[in-house]
Amino acid sequence: MLLKRICWVFAFVAAASLQLQAAPTLEEGKNLFIANCASCHNKNMKDDMTGPALSGVEDRWSAYPRKDLYNWIRGSQALIAAGHPRAVELWNKWKPSPMNNFPGLTDDQIESIILYINSPPVVPPPPPGGETIGAEKSSGNMWLFVGLALLLGFLAFAMMRIIDNLANISRVQAGETPVKKTWAQIAGSKGFIAFMVFAVTLIFGYKTVDNATLMGRTQGYEPDQPINFSHKIHAGVNKIDCQYCHDSARRSKHSLIPGANTCMNCHSAVKKGTISGTSEITKIYASIGFDPIANKYIPDYENWSEKQIEDLYKKWIGQEYVSANSLTSLDDNGRSEVQSQWDGVVKALKNDSNGRIQGPIEWVRIHNLPDHAYFNHSQHVAVGQVACQKCHGPVEEMDVVYQYSTLGMGFCINCHRETEVKFKENGYYQQYERYHKELKDGTREKVTVEDIGGLECQKCHY
Amino acid sequence: MHHDNGIWVSTDDLMREEKFLQSAEKEFSIENIAETDGQWTASRRDFLKLLGFGLGAATVAASCEIPLKKAIPYVTKPDEIVPGVANYFASSFVNGGDYCSVLVKTREGRPIKIEGNSLSGVTGGGTSARAQALVLSLYDTRRIKQGGTIENGSVKPLSWSDLDSKIKGQLQLGGQVRIISQTIMSPTAKKALAEFTAKYPNSRVVTYDPVSSAALLSANDQCFGKRAVPSYHFDKADLIVSFGADFLGTWISPVEFARDYAKNRKIRNVKGAKMSRHYQIESHMSLTGSNADNRILVKPSEQGAAIVALYNALTGGSGGPNLNEKAAKAIAKVAAELKNAQGKALVVSDSNNIMEQVYVNKINELLGSYGTTIDFGRASNQRQGDERDMMRLIAEMNSGQVGVVFVWGANPAYELPNSEEFKTAFAKVNTRVSFSGVLDETTLLCNYSAPTHHILESWGDAEPKAGQYSLIQPTIAPLFQTRQAEHSLLEWADSANLNRQDDQPYYQYLKSHWASDLFALQTKYATPTAFWDMSLHDGVFEVPAVESAVTFNPAISLNPSGVTQPANSELEIAFYETANIGGGQYAHNPWLQEMPDPVTRTVWGNYLSIPVSFDGVNNINGWMDLNDGDNVDVEINGKKVTCTVVRNFGQMPGTVSIALGQGRTAGGCGVGYGVDVNPWLPVEGGLIQYFAKDVKVTKTGTVDEHFACVQHHHTMGVQAMGKEEGTVINADEKSLGWKGFQGSLTDRSIIFQTNLDELPKFVAKLDKFHEKSDHLNSQTLYPDRTDVFTAGVHWGMYVDLNACIGCGACQIACVSENNVPVVGKKEVHRHHEMTWLRIDRYFYGDIENPKVVYQPMMCQHCENAPCENVCPVNATNHSMEGFNQMAYNRCIGTRYCANNCPYKVRRFNWLDYTTADVWPANEERVFHVEGDDKPFYADNLTRMVLNPDVTVRTRGVIEKCSFCIQRVQEGKLTAKQEGRAIMDNDVRSACQTACPTGAIVFGNVNNPDSEVSKLKKGALTYLVLEEINVRSNVEYSAKVRNANEELFS
Repeated sequence: MLLKRICWVFAFVAAASLQLQAAPTLEEGKNLFIANCASCHNKNMKDDMTGPALSGVEDRWSAYPRKDLYNWIRGSQALIAAGHPRAVELWNKWKPSPMNNFPGLTDDQIESIILYINSPPVVPPPPPGGETIGAEKSSGNMWLFVGLALLLGFLAFAMMRIIDNLANISRVQAGETPVKKTWAQIAGSKGFIAFMVFAVTLIFGYKTVDNATLMGRTQGYEPDQPINFSHKIHAGVNKIDCQYCHDSARRSKHSLIPGANTCMNCHSAVKKGTISGTSEITKIYASIGFDPIANKYIPDYENWSEKQIEDLYKKWIGQEYVSANSLTSLDDNGRSEVQSQWDGVVKALKNDSNGRIQGPIEWVRIHNLPDHAYFNHSQHVAVGQVACQKCHGPVEEMDVVYQYSTLGMGFCINCHRETEVKFKENGYYQQYERYHKELKDGTREKVTVEDIGGLECQKCHY
Repeated sequence: MHHDNGIWVSTDDLMREEKFLQSAEKEFSIENIAETDGQWTASRRDFLKLLGFGLGAATVAASCEIPLKKAIPYVTKPDEIVPGVANYFASSFVNGGDYCSVLVKTREGRPIKIEGNSLSGVTGGGTSARAQALVLSLYDTRRIKQGGTIENGSVKPLSWSDLDSKIKGQLQLGGQVRIISQTIMSPTAKKALAEFTAKYPNSRVVTYDPVSSAALLSANDQCFGKRAVPSYHFDKADLIVSFGADFLGTWISPVEFARDYAKNRKIRNVKGAKMSRHYQIESHMSLTGSNADNRILVKPSEQGAAIVALYNALTGGSGGPNLNEKAAKAIAKVAAELKNAQGKALVVSDSNNIMEQVYVNKINELLGSYGTTIDFGRASNQRQGDERDMMRLIAEMNSGQVGVVFVWGANPAYELPNSEEFKTAFAKVNTRVSFSGVLDETTLLCNYSAPTHHILESWGDAEPKAGQYSLIQPTIAPLFQTRQAEHSLLEWADSANLNRQDDQPYYQYLKSHWASDLFALQTKYATPTAFWDMSLHDGVFEVPAVESAVTFNPAISLNPSGVTQPANSELEIAFYETANIGGGQYAHNPWLQEMPDPVTRTVWGNYLSIPVSFDGVNNINGWMDLNDGDNVDVEINGKKVTCTVVRNFGQMPGTVSIALGQGRTAGGCGVGYGVDVNPWLPVEGGLIQYFAKDVKVTKTGTVDEHFACVQHHHTMGVQAMGKEEGTVINADEKSLGWKGFQGSLTDRSIIFQTNLDELPKFVAKLDKFHEKSDHLNSQTLYPDRTDVFTAGVHWGMYVDLNACIGCGACQIACVSENNVPVVGKKEVHRHHEMTWLRIDRYFYGDIENPKVVYQPMMCQHCENAPCENVCPVNATNHSMEGFNQMAYNRCIGTRYCANNCPYKVRRFNWLDYTTADVWPANEERVFHVEGDDKPFYADNLTRMVLNPDVTVRTRGVIEKCSFCIQRVQEGKLTAKQEGRAIMDNDVRSACQTACPTGAIVFGNVNNPDSEVSKLKKGALTYLVLEEINVRSNVEYSAKVRNANEELFS
């Protein structure tokens, strides 16, 4: 497991550049906002997202010392616990999603962010119509083809009759007896057999190829996951932005399954699930080593024995069971519940490649592309501004995620044919001078991904 | 005899040998393809059976469940890692005295590629093949996993604490302690060594270099009182004279020298074009010699005589040893030119004779080079070793005084000429500890192994030149239970400065050294932490050069009898270092082994270069009528070894030559290739000499069955039907007897070359040629394509043949970037090498002492690509951005494209070279390291070197240069994310970034301001095979030399 060892890699630039900053500036505020706040707070400052809209934040905190606002940003939970009125008000409105802590931000940096919030950038209005999510265009050509086939079939039959009749006429003229072919004779004729062989080969061949392309496709794949994680609750009900957890979708080719530390941003406060209670969230704690009773991370968790871990989390589950059912001590049902939840934790976290409770949660991968196909999330999410749902379907309605699209090449190609690129918005496309001219002249209606080479082999295969 | 444009590649080409014509005709050698060696007896029937089975199996497999794939996230994701996005870390490639400042590209914490660091004042962003190959050696399966005692040729593991107590116990016995090392450039390592020697006062460091520069150091000590290599400025010299020094390939600091040298060789403007002039005096064709404007041939033993002759000619003196007449005349002319180049001349020599180096110093002093083209202010630390010290150590060990020897980075049991003596003496030492990461020849003789980290796992620093510091940082956690040698030494010295509680004690040690010693040298950063952070970020730290004027010691007397006296022997042999293998330090790197030697174009071993002779009329013969691949017995000083011969132009008659560094017997994949020539090296006055006299060569009548020379592979030749029925001739215009045939090798426009004084005439000729080709090419099958190509971005490349020195860095960079597999010697013998970028070497001029042009040749991405329209499945086609695309998963392996490619740049996967696990028969045939059961790529450790952004190709498909499409995609994405047009720096191909001289430029040709567009407008540019109307996207700039045509007249 080399990947785990990389904590050894050292990046100093960011730290150094932070140290060198002084005096609040708009530029710095913008960078800090994008780096720290934008995943929860809407960039237009007007609409709520995972977190509230930030426009006017200064006014809302104006009744309190400026320092309280700083403290709120650095550690909101502490302020809530201390009973700060504004903090409690916010918590009541937004719970159970707590705000992340940013202990590293200096006063100046926070001022920079506020400066930026007060002068929000102009966000281009969403394109008219927006993305049509999951809409499939039904094929209107089907009946036309059927009609054509019937017409051609009828014509062929008529031609056959005409030829037969003409042949018989010539036979009569030559003094021979006209031949009246029976259906059996027609079916046994060389021409008919040849045609049937041809047709059958064609149909079978087509179907074979058609089905062969489906090999390895897993549309609808809906495997069991180690944690009964519900996107419906997180993305649907709580409206957490997709990119809050899958944060590298905008930066990398991988969208990334979040690490347990990302879950802990909220679940250090939200300790019980809406439906599942302690049974699922405990798995996160057991993976990362968080003690929900003492409310802190366990320092030498790596070295804990399985027994120690079992004791801690059984205690936690039991304690919550007792308080949820207003008992004074664990009853028989409770004991079996604790045992079954703990078994669930073991099943989810202990596996062949690990052999112990501690360590990463091994999810089952649903969306698999073959090795020779290159796909980059960033290109689609950040540049193309394609909604996640376009390929992944209505994830916010799924309790268990399944593969929504075929993810076959035809699926990609069709989308590339239809989708218009952000031709005017993105400065990159300024280089396509001819297209711009054509758009201006009116000789071109739109620029699709296909027009800028989106169907070419080496866009995806190299 | 001469071809019309005077270009040839080999004797066989010149003589139109049948063998050559055949090999030129065939894109792939399919001889032996169905050879039976008991393993592989496939017939068409077998194939059909397997095919049927395969289809059935696929159907069954497809109906089964799809394998479960896991997606495993981090528990706590490190902030600096975004999976799928590469991180770059500044570090340094250091191996003894070899140095290059680099950026290490890591993906998900795994180093996969080396790039040059343009912030370095020494290497300036250039790299070498050796630096490029660094990543592969990290994943060497032969690395020692854990230290311990060495018993019966293997390591019996011990914990570090047990090993420490054992070694400390031995150190306390009180015997003499010696540390054998190569040149150490690290100030911090030296500090650690100083702590060690302070703790054990009876210890001493013995340093030698695998290829010695000891005489140069001694001569500088005598002449100037400075035992150091000075800084040479090839960019400031108008006239360069090199006595055998291969400064572009191997000598001292080749990356730095190549960069400086090329500055004065590029021609950007034809009007008033200026170039430096470079004379090379040598016996065999070295990489540097092949780039020289004129080569003057002297026997290796005449090198001293030549230096004295130059000195005499400059001073008007006389006397000195005899020199061959032709060379003597030429040197007199060189001297006359040198006199006119006062202050702008540079004379260098690689001689390991002190008096010769003193003469060279004196010549430089006479020419006013010190302070202009040579300075000691930035003295180089890249060579510090002295083999005389080693000789003394052997005597000490023999006398039994030495109790403990540490071997650090050196391999004396292989590298020394008297290695047998060394082995006997070494055995008398009680405790022998090796820091080596692999079980090499010397480590096998040790009784303890304390393996150090690979350089990519290490902390460290280097001061390659005075005041120019460079940091080494780990880019991966140690793969095995190794410990850095400096840490071990400090541990054994009970150092109080080593913080043992820390995770990385040597990191803290290094950091505190920088804070205490280097921080004070600068004023830019106020705190040691800021200074350290920025230095680590940049990878380099420089202090201004100190003025260091030198005066030549007047007490030094020049004595011609001190130089090597020309031998009166029939045959002499020169031993030389190659750019890829060095003195043997790099022999265990398969990438470097499979990189063709730039001049002989041989791989996997060292071959005896023999001269060719021309009878002046018709015949060109290998010496003794020997042919490439013949085996001969070479006897020197009673030691007889069988070598394989390769005929080499430019090898002086009466001499032969062979490379150092091969014939390794332990430690990795180099075992079993070539011959060990070290025992042949004579030692004069304690100094190793790299030539020998009284050489006897006798024919054996046998041949090397797998002679691997890529010279005739993928030759751009064409055959035609002869006038008589059934005859096939090479279709040059002369043999066809009519003009206008587009296509023969000899009259094809592959190489254009001229001399500086004929430049205007040449440009006019080239213009005429362009006109003629334009006329031939006025028709196109795709008239509407121009519109498509000018719509957005269009990619193109420019290659400056004047700047290309043939060093091969680009080739290894390409291999590393694009997962090009190693195929092994047998497969190379069968023309199956897979390199996407080859460096063609062409000769022209005098047949016995020709001039050389190197031409990097990769897919030319033709707009009218002949490969595209013959593909039956459209697996290769064109993109609107100018790429000739290759879709591997669509390719069915007809190889029509390869046969139709005029440049011969397409490669076919005859076997599953990289996956190596499909069929047992495949496993047998692909490359194995000698003695391994599993194929080279079968080990997961080796596979960690693969670039995850590039598909690993399977058996049966064609592949070729993609213009680094993955880099293009990445660069375009960056530009799109930032919402701006593409810029030059967004996309740089792997070959471009690797090149030390900037010979390759890649970019968007639709942008008139891009570097590549500007360069393509140059008057010297041409397309290779312009006349065949394939409209390639790679333009070359003609080779221009500044030769003195009167030199031998």
